[in-house]
Amino acid sequence: MSGQASPQHAAAVARRLRTLSAGALVAAVAVFVLGADYALSQAAFVATYAIAGLGMIVIVGQCGQISLGQGALLGLGAYVEALLVVRGVPAPLAMAVAVAAGTAGGWLASLPARRLGGLYFAMSTLAFALIVEEALVRAEALTHGAAGLAVPTLVLAGFPVDASWSQALAAALALALAWIAARRCVASRLGRSWHAVREDEAAAAACGVDVARAKRAAFAFGGALSGLAGALYAHWIGFVSPEQFGLMLSFELLMLAFIGGARELAGALWGALVVVALPQAISVLTELLPAGTATPAGLESLLFGAVVVALILLRPGGLTASRTRGEDPDLTDTA
Amino acid sequence: MTPIRRFLAVLGLAIAGAGGTVAAAETPGVSRNEILVGSIQDLSGPIALLGAPVRDGMLLRFEDANAAGGVHGRKLRLVVEDSGYDPKKGVLAARKLIQRDKVFAFLADLGTPVVMATMPIVIEAGRPHLFPFSPHESTYSPVHPLKFQMFAPYQDYMEAATRNMVQTRGYKKTCLLYQDDDYGLEVMKGVEAGLAKLKQPLVEKTSYKRGATDLSSQVARLRAADCDFVVLATVVRETVAAVSEARKIGWNVDMLVTASGYSSQTHELGGKAVEGLYGVSVLPHPYEEGANRQLADWIKRYRERFGTAPNVWSAMGYSVADLFVKAADKAGPDLTVERFTAAMESLHTPRDFFGSPEYRFSREDHLGNRFGRIAQIQNGRWVILTDYLK
Repeated sequence: MSGQASPQHAAAVARRLRTLSAGALVAAVAVFVLGADYALSQAAFVATYAIAGLGMIVIVGQCGQISLGQGALLGLGAYVEALLVVRGVPAPLAMAVAVAAGTAGGWLASLPARRLGGLYFAMSTLAFALIVEEALVRAEALTHGAAGLAVPTLVLAGFPVDASWSQALAAALALALAWIAARRCVASRLGRSWHAVREDEAAAAACGVDVARAKRAAFAFGGALSGLAGALYAHWIGFVSPEQFGLMLSFELLMLAFIGGARELAGALWGALVVVALPQAISVLTELLPAGTATPAGLESLLFGAVVVALILLRPGGLTASRTRGEDPDLTDTA
Repeated sequence: MTPIRRFLAVLGLAIAGAGGTVAAAETPGVSRNEILVGSIQDLSGPIALLGAPVRDGMLLRFEDANAAGGVHGRKLRLVVEDSGYDPKKGVLAARKLIQRDKVFAFLADLGTPVVMATMPIVIEAGRPHLFPFSPHESTYSPVHPLKFQMFAPYQDYMEAATRNMVQTRGYKKTCLLYQDDDYGLEVMKGVEAGLAKLKQPLVEKTSYKRGATDLSSQVARLRAADCDFVVLATVVRETVAAVSEARKIGWNVDMLVTASGYSSQTHELGGKAVEGLYGVSVLPHPYEEGANRQLADWIKRYRERFGTAPNVWSAMGYSVADLFVKAADKAGPDLTVERFTAAMESLHTPRDFFGSPEYRFSREDHLGNRFGRIAQIQNGRWVILTDYLK
């Protein structure tokens, strides 16, 4: 790695700078147009979704697997957090347990990978999500079933995190931690085994990579991040019910990874920005339509769909992918 | 230094924003010419079929009020946000309506998860949270100065309705078919409470999963239990499926569906098969045929404005907005949140041209109505059979 060609390195730095300044510009415009409270509240959700998105990107983009049940892992994290905090467990401790629950859930969801591959394995993750949702409904004594559960405010070190700026700060800190962990993992031997599995399972196995173990690790890591995101989400929403963690959320997270670009970790942030903030931007823009018109129901979803289709057509590899098709930053990095 | 300063500035803004609601001399959402009201609807999610007519009903009432000169000279403006039944979008919509649009109050937010997630934010911002379409007890109890509701939990209606049906028609074996979620369980509690008052047991109960289309095994089970009266905690499609199935196997048992099945779609979809089905009605469906003059005029205006016939949800939207207009009028020209809620607490409205119940609020009770009526499908339309059951 140390022998990296300097023009490439400079290009990478320039790209990063561009990304950063674009991000700062988006944030400044958001605060100016929307007002601080509303913009920060969005930032909290964007960061929270980006944490879950990082987990998805590890599974989809790094290890090359498809998970259709990530929403259920978020649900596990959210419920564990809610149930523990309601019983008086300090939030940071509850969050650690939520992360552990997400890890265990991810590991469990990856078990069918021993026998199944490709689409069949993806289907098994879908089944896993359905089972978790159903279990949350059935375990009524614990979860209050479909009626849902109120979640108290997050309290960190005696400080209640209930204003939107503190929520945004807490979510950003959690995202930073998740980011560091994900970077370290991807750069480690484990990350290289993920990439090998992604490119060619048979070849990876022939080179001595334990394919099943690599997949399990990816799912466990993705599950841990989902658990963390779920715990935060539960506090931001203040109310959890099984239907919130259904297939829609799983597909939303999958979409997030593909829109942002599954090959790079930064894709999680861009994807989250599109999935969370774009509908809000569209809603603000539709207000520019002539006053007094009853805008047709679903207009905003229609516009959102159109923008997503356009994004995918223009940047098939996601927002973070390089413009030239087929160029893989991971491969050029390691070359 | 700059980023830190910027952070401090943002922090200051946020704190000022939080404190501002308390110290503000001016009431948010109320200007000399306008009152701004927010509403979080589902216009693109699973219950968009309800959200669009509710919104249109509210719009029509506000436009009527504006055409009549507004409320104490102020025009009413409704800002509607679409949550798509997603609580995350709901939370963001609530923040937007509070901070960016600065609405005076929230009216008829739709969907339990969205309402549960947004209500604390609305209350904390000091805005009235009015008549959400979520029959959840926490929307009016324990009494909170800012929370008002006009839709009682299903349990209340169904307790009285079951009791009335069993008492007047002498059923001996009451059974229940229910959707396997909080809605179904709530109805079950009501039915059991009604039967308990008459010292009768619930003979048989069976459930289905939301979205099921084939209810033949459930109906067969109820028939095997020899029920003479079946309460349906179903929504439109399942209601039609259950009644059709019973008739198909030649079982002519009396059935009563909750207010969720009281919809013109039930007889439009079910046709002859659902003739004779009983239902609980909170507000009558606005049929064009046989409408009183005022209602006929309203239906005509609604059709002209939105290009479609109104349904019971449109009427509910209109009624909800009507209560707001009445309370705002009663609060007087110097509209503040305190004056508005004080007006709400003494609001008592008579029945209107829809055939609505009387709504009565007080300091101790912020739920305007607890009663429903029994209706029946006769000749392809719902006919109201009883008065509001107390």
